[in-house]
Amino acid sequence: MKISNTLKIIIAIVVVALLLARCGTSTYNDMVNQEEEVGKAWSNVETQYQRRADLIPNLVNTVKGYAAHEKSTLEDVIAARAKATQISVDPSNLTPEKLKEFQAAQGEITSALGRLIAISENYPDLKANQNFQELQAQLEGTENRITESRKIYNAAVKDYNVVIRKFPSNIFASIFGFEKKNGFEAEAGASKAPTVEF
Amino acid sequence: MTRCRRLILTLFTIIIPLLHIGAEEVTLWTPETLPMVHLQDADRWVCNPDGILSAATVDSVDNIINHLYREKGIEAVVVVVKHTKDNDCYEFGMALARKYGIGGRKTNTGLIVILSIEDRAYYILTGTGLEGTLPDAICKRVEIKTMIPRMKIGDWDGAILEGMKAIALYIEGDDTLLKDNSPSEDNGWEALFGLMLLFFFIALFILILTQAVYKPCPHCGKKRLYATRQDFLYTKGRTDYYKVTYICSHCRYSETKIERRPHDDDDNAAILGGSILGSSLGRGGSFGGGSFGGGSFGGGSFGGGGAGGRF
Repeated sequence: MKISNTLKIIIAIVVVALLLARCGTSTYNDMVNQEEEVGKAWSNVETQYQRRADLIPNLVNTVKGYAAHEKSTLEDVIAARAKATQISVDPSNLTPEKLKEFQAAQGEITSALGRLIAISENYPDLKANQNFQELQAQLEGTENRITESRKIYNAAVKDYNVVIRKFPSNIFASIFGFEKKNGFEAEAGASKAPTVEF
Repeated sequence: MTRCRRLILTLFTIIIPLLHIGAEEVTLWTPETLPMVHLQDADRWVCNPDGILSAATVDSVDNIINHLYREKGIEAVVVVVKHTKDNDCYEFGMALARKYGIGGRKTNTGLIVILSIEDRAYYILTGTGLEGTLPDAICKRVEIKTMIPRMKIGDWDGAILEGMKAIALYIEGDDTLLKDNSPSEDNGWEALFGLMLLFFFIALFILILTQAVYKPCPHCGKKRLYATRQDFLYTKGRTDYYKVTYICSHCRYSETKIERRPHDDDDNAAILGGSILGSSLGRGGSFGGGSFGGGSFGGGSFGGGGAGGRF
């Protein structure tokens, strides 16, 4: 009778252990899947930023043909591009600092390009140039793609964070070392409405 | 005098809002309120709720898109309205794409053309699978050369028809586009696999059941009896009667039994099969409808490609 009782306890322990292991593996696999999604979304974000960087030399050359003396603006764009292309972030090492650095460098390109497009308004010949118009359309399309890919990345990060913070998967997350990831924040200054002064 | 003034004032306060309502009969379309004609009729792709385009143009554009759909698997939606709610054709188009999943799930070859005439805005949006065929620069070129000159003089029919013709030329010139527009081939396989698994389990279940029910041979007691032949006798009501001969493989002992089985109704079998098939294929999303019923979209995605602007 006593042996049978110990046997029962052992069986119960084995069953519980098996259940835990089963639960653990499925949670672990879920977390791995979500992490992969985040990595995929991140590489898409980088691709779109790279696409924008690839457009810049062409754009600068076209503008140069019409507005060669806007040297400082053109150089700003080139410099910002050179700086930003040096920063590449590995999805497995997406610390908030890295992300901030990446975002700041890309933000510089955005503002330098903004100035470039703004000065092109002063050159009617440039504005009417078909090559320039098409480059501008490509640039706009790429900015849209960047926005979309950032949205998708943020959504993937959110899903991942929800998975690793929920009970009971948060226990497994801390055991296997899954850490909270960071999404993009609004561009610095984007939250402030522009002021117009006369 | 004061009473008279008050009366006039009250009359005004009643009449002015009425006049206002009469003047403001403009629908600000949102992706939610826009009637998607393709869902009612699979052959129609042009949403023209304000009646801006002529029936002939709508018909011609539908024909162009149907041709592209059949030959290249493109799902294109054309929207021509007076106003969009947020005065933003790009966001409107992206919201439509997200809502309906325009374009094949695998190929992502969706296309959305939006013209909002009183906002004076337009946009050509390309699905992620169409960005190679119709790069942003090409979209812009079509807009600049074909659409904008016509839009500037208010020739909406010409802008949309000629614009779509120009786009169709680019698409037809691309041989890499898949003719196959089945949106969920892999899901189909998945469903088939699920079905096979289901049948396997049913077969296993039946096997276990029959094994459990069959008794061992009453003569030698070693092997189970198995049925060697089965003769149909007659049907009574909803029951079929069979004469079944059982034999033991060990000692060749045999016996016959009259067995009753529920009448195998073909209609029932078809319904059952259909419901299994339907439920397991249903997960894969819906396919494009036939030419008589409503259509559906494949579930493609848009990444923000395309070009647009104001005229």
